[in-house]
Amino acid sequence: MAIIEINQNFGENTQLLAPFIIVIAIAWVFLVYYSYKKYGARMTLVYFLPIIIATLLIESAGVAGGRYYYPGYIVYLSVVGGAVPLIIVLAWSVNLFLFMSLGKYFISKLYHQKNFPQILLISLAAGIFGVCLDLLEDPIAHHNNWWIWEESLTGFKFFNVPILNFIGWFVLIFFMCIATLLIERSKFSENRKVLLSISSLAFTGLAIFMVHGILVRIFESIGLA
Amino acid sequence: MEKTIVQFILDNIFLFVPLGVAGIIATLVLYFLPKKVTSEASEDLSTDFVTLLKVRVNIYVGVYFFVWLLILIIGLLSDFLIPTIIGGIIASIPLFVLILFECKTSKSKRTRAHGDH
Repeated sequence: MAIIEINQNFGENTQLLAPFIIVIAIAWVFLVYYSYKKYGARMTLVYFLPIIIATLLIESAGVAGGRYYYPGYIVYLSVVGGAVPLIIVLAWSVNLFLFMSLGKYFISKLYHQKNFPQILLISLAAGIFGVCLDLLEDPIAHHNNWWIWEESLTGFKFFNVPILNFIGWFVLIFFMCIATLLIERSKFSENRKVLLSISSLAFTGLAIFMVHGILVRIFESIGLA
Repeated sequence: MEKTIVQFILDNIFLFVPLGVAGIIATLVLYFLPKKVTSEASEDLSTDFVTLLKVRVNIYVGVYFFVWLLILIIGLLSDFLIPTIIGGIIASIPLFVLILFECKTSKSKRTRAHGDH
């Protein structure tokens, strides 16, 4: 099902792509290593593998649907018809682990009880932190052609980036964070947590699909998308 | 014409439904299978700190700062000043909030410790 493609023309039609890839690669290696040392191999899989699978499907669908594309990268993965650079799915795993950890750090200072409302607050904080960073990253990415949004897309845009992109970032990080925290805090063995984190993508994906779909409708009806 | 991801999934529903159903069944089986482990590992967030130049820094705040700073530099080098500055200011809000909270918490801890003596 998955197809790996190698592009011979690295950096073609892009600007400053290599520094961007280096930043993401450094952050990814550091966070995976840190997670491995602190939580162990199985929990690192719980934190990093499901988001890699989820974003591979979502990003591939986004490219196959013709909304955006990624020129100039070296290694591409294609699962449902759209080619997604490997570094992009790794970047998503950095996003989830980083924003979830920042959310835990922030919310644990405000709300000490370890219960479901705390998980919701952490996920909310993680989603907001993610959108804040993306408001810097996405316009620069579009300007430098790291990924290109179709000009024909209508609706409200933030420096040529459709507002639905930011909604998508929030929804994805929010729901993936809830699922990851629920599994992390469950009383199952670590082996079962790894399996659950992958199989539960069906539930998380359904929630993301429905909420994002409803938000798209709402934004379309008020002319923002 | 371009499609949203939701439209794309609806157009290819026969690909996504079997994946979803398999995932739901697997999750239910894994959830209801016996052999639960009762001990819940408690996470120690106080270990996520390093001392750099005599300053105590949270590792995740440090990584966020690293990504923020380098993307900001790349944006400035791309001759894309206004969006980079506006985006940079918005993306710095989490940093300010997190640093502010850390300062406030450590200050109140010091005050409490001082009060104890």
